[in-house]
Amino acid sequence: MIQEFKFPDIGEGIHEGKLLKWHMEVGDTIQAGDTIAEVETDKVNAELPSPYSGKVIALLAEEGGIIYVGQVLIKVDTGEVGKSQDQTVEPVAEENAGVVGALEASSEVIPASAEGRKQEAAIPPKRKVLATPVARKMAYDLGVDLRNVTGTGPGGRVMKADIAAAAEKTTAGDSEASKPEQKHETKLEAASKDRNQIERVPLSMIRKTIAKKMVQSKHTAPHATAMDEVDVTELVKFRETAKGHFDEDIHLTFMPFIMKAIVLALKKNPKINSSLDDETEEILLKKYYHLGIAVDTEEGLTVPVVRNVDQKSIVRLAKELNDLGQRARNRKLTIDELKESTFSITNYGAVGSIFGVPVINYPEVAIMGIGKISKKPVVIEDELVIRHMLPLSMSFDHRVVDGGDAGRFMNDVKKYLSDPYRLLLL
Amino acid sequence: MPVLNNVQAVNYALMQEMERDPSVVVFGEDAGYEGGVFRATVDLQEKFGVERCFDTPISESGIVGAAVGMAINGLKPVVELQFCGFTYPAFNQIISHVSRMRNRSRGRFTLPMVIRFPSGGGIRALEHHSESPEVLFAHIPGLKIVMPSTPYDTKGLLTAAIRDPDPVIFMEPKRIYRAFKQEVPEEDYVIEIGKANVVKEGEDLTIVTWGAMVKDTLKAVEEANKKGIFPEVIDLRTIAPLDREAIIQSVKKTGRILVVQEAVKSFGVASEIIALVNEKAFLHLEAPPARVAAPDIIVPLPRGEQYYMPNPDMIYEKILEVVNFLT
Repeated sequence: MIQEFKFPDIGEGIHEGKLLKWHMEVGDTIQAGDTIAEVETDKVNAELPSPYSGKVIALLAEEGGIIYVGQVLIKVDTGEVGKSQDQTVEPVAEENAGVVGALEASSEVIPASAEGRKQEAAIPPKRKVLATPVARKMAYDLGVDLRNVTGTGPGGRVMKADIAAAAEKTTAGDSEASKPEQKHETKLEAASKDRNQIERVPLSMIRKTIAKKMVQSKHTAPHATAMDEVDVTELVKFRETAKGHFDEDIHLTFMPFIMKAIVLALKKNPKINSSLDDETEEILLKKYYHLGIAVDTEEGLTVPVVRNVDQKSIVRLAKELNDLGQRARNRKLTIDELKESTFSITNYGAVGSIFGVPVINYPEVAIMGIGKISKKPVVIEDELVIRHMLPLSMSFDHRVVDGGDAGRFMNDVKKYLSDPYRLLLL
Repeated sequence: MPVLNNVQAVNYALMQEMERDPSVVVFGEDAGYEGGVFRATVDLQEKFGVERCFDTPISESGIVGAAVGMAINGLKPVVELQFCGFTYPAFNQIISHVSRMRNRSRGRFTLPMVIRFPSGGGIRALEHHSESPEVLFAHIPGLKIVMPSTPYDTKGLLTAAIRDPDPVIFMEPKRIYRAFKQEVPEEDYVIEIGKANVVKEGEDLTIVTWGAMVKDTLKAVEEANKKGIFPEVIDLRTIAPLDREAIIQSVKKTGRILVVQEAVKSFGVASEIIALVNEKAFLHLEAPPARVAAPDIIVPLPRGEQYYMPNPDMIYEKILEVVNFLT
């Protein structure tokens, strides 16, 4: 008689275990009490003794595999004749001589039922259209997308007449009736126009980053912009004079002066040199002054950072700007050189623009836009004079900075830029 | 929690219900001493005695007839017929008495009984052992037809069937009797008869199936998922009464329907479901309703059976066909 040995619950309420090692092979003759196998459970490691004596005819689990309580581990032929405990169909086949076929037997465990703890419906339904099969076929033949046709039939059903009308309008060049959803519009547009007239250019990595950062900034920070003009006539003169005082060949632009002025103003207006921590609802005032300088490159905008501007001389700043700008254009900047700016400057004056409304380099709270310096008629002490004027536009995050803060900061920047001696002596 | 296969789940449900309710009795050919041809009733006689679990003569008509008498008189018989193909001798009892006792007696008598038997093919058996005759029963008003697809469902549905005040035909897909296991809770639970189960949510088409074909369908669906196609799979669980609402709702959502049945194609459950969809969701259909089913022939003997049985490849092909219609 064939006896099955099932994996018993050897702990208190275990359900499964890991079969570590068989202590017998098929064909071995065993005595009751012999160890069948070593098993590891979440509670103990144990040796399983056999309750049967006889010949091992099958080992039904793999070493290293998971076994479940109640699962048959071995079959033993005890040699006795008696009532069969065998749970397979084989003895039946014997008794009924081939009446029953071969059942697929497997210990594969399928996932437990999630009955009663069903999740909410995950997939939102697609937009579906009511239409008869004949109408659907007609729409298909005419190339009309049913989803874009407004049905005039009962319950909004799309009728054949609706499809005919939509098809007519499309051919007449009026796409009103079959106006696609926003998402499809660009696709359809591209498809319907001559392919030669639209070139598809995949976004470069840098373009994708710019797009993402701009969207993030505009979505997160409510932008407001303050604009002003500074009389920089004195600074223009000073720079002309200064140019002749260097031994080295240094390209001295207005940017180092502007950076210095901004840092001095930042020190007086600490709120502008900050960022907002949304989670803790705190303003982080920064005690260091790293200025991001927007650089226009062929691939797109990049913003290298000049660190600790407050501790550097005009000459040093000029050199660093040169170097960073050049390496930005050659795409040789390191990641570290693009990080941790506390305030940024964008110089659209360099390409001839006067005014702009810059987008904040988030998570900073403000950015200064620099326009082109040009000679303008200005009234000073009731006299019309010609002065060099520098237009400034500062965008700020209105969550942190108010118009008053921005105005005061702007006035400080102006004060330093209009008086280069004060700027350099401070 | 015990991890059981389908036939063990049958045994487990019987064991628990016999323990709970002394009026539950189990009998059939070899159902007593031997514990049933597939061992579904094993240990029951030993545990509950020969009065509550016993063998019968080879007389299906007699088995069902005796159950009718017992049920009228307050017992809850759960009879085992050895194979789907052996149910035919009992048809007179089933049609003439089982299905209509409540109606005939104007509600005075109901028959709280279960007729359970292994159904379907795929095990390379001989003649009369492999049919899927669910529609023969479903066409008889007054019967409930249940077919589980997992061990969890088997216990929940069989328990519900035993407790049902009216007769339930409980068909067990024998091909998956031992094909896989699942955790089956020890505690008392029932699965409502007449309610389908959305096994997998999806949006591209609705696949309705039941019994052993659920497993094959899920295999095909897995392939389809790799192609970005996400079918919704409904396991009927109960053939009659059909969960019309579940099917119609799903088709309104997806716009497409495929019915997968192991039985022969014509005049079957799939036909009924497709008729229903045409009646109730006609305007939502974006493709012709489709069927995967066995051909209209007698189940071949073992050598030819694989050409007869619907399989995952056929289901996969059909999914593509339905989803790609007019697109």
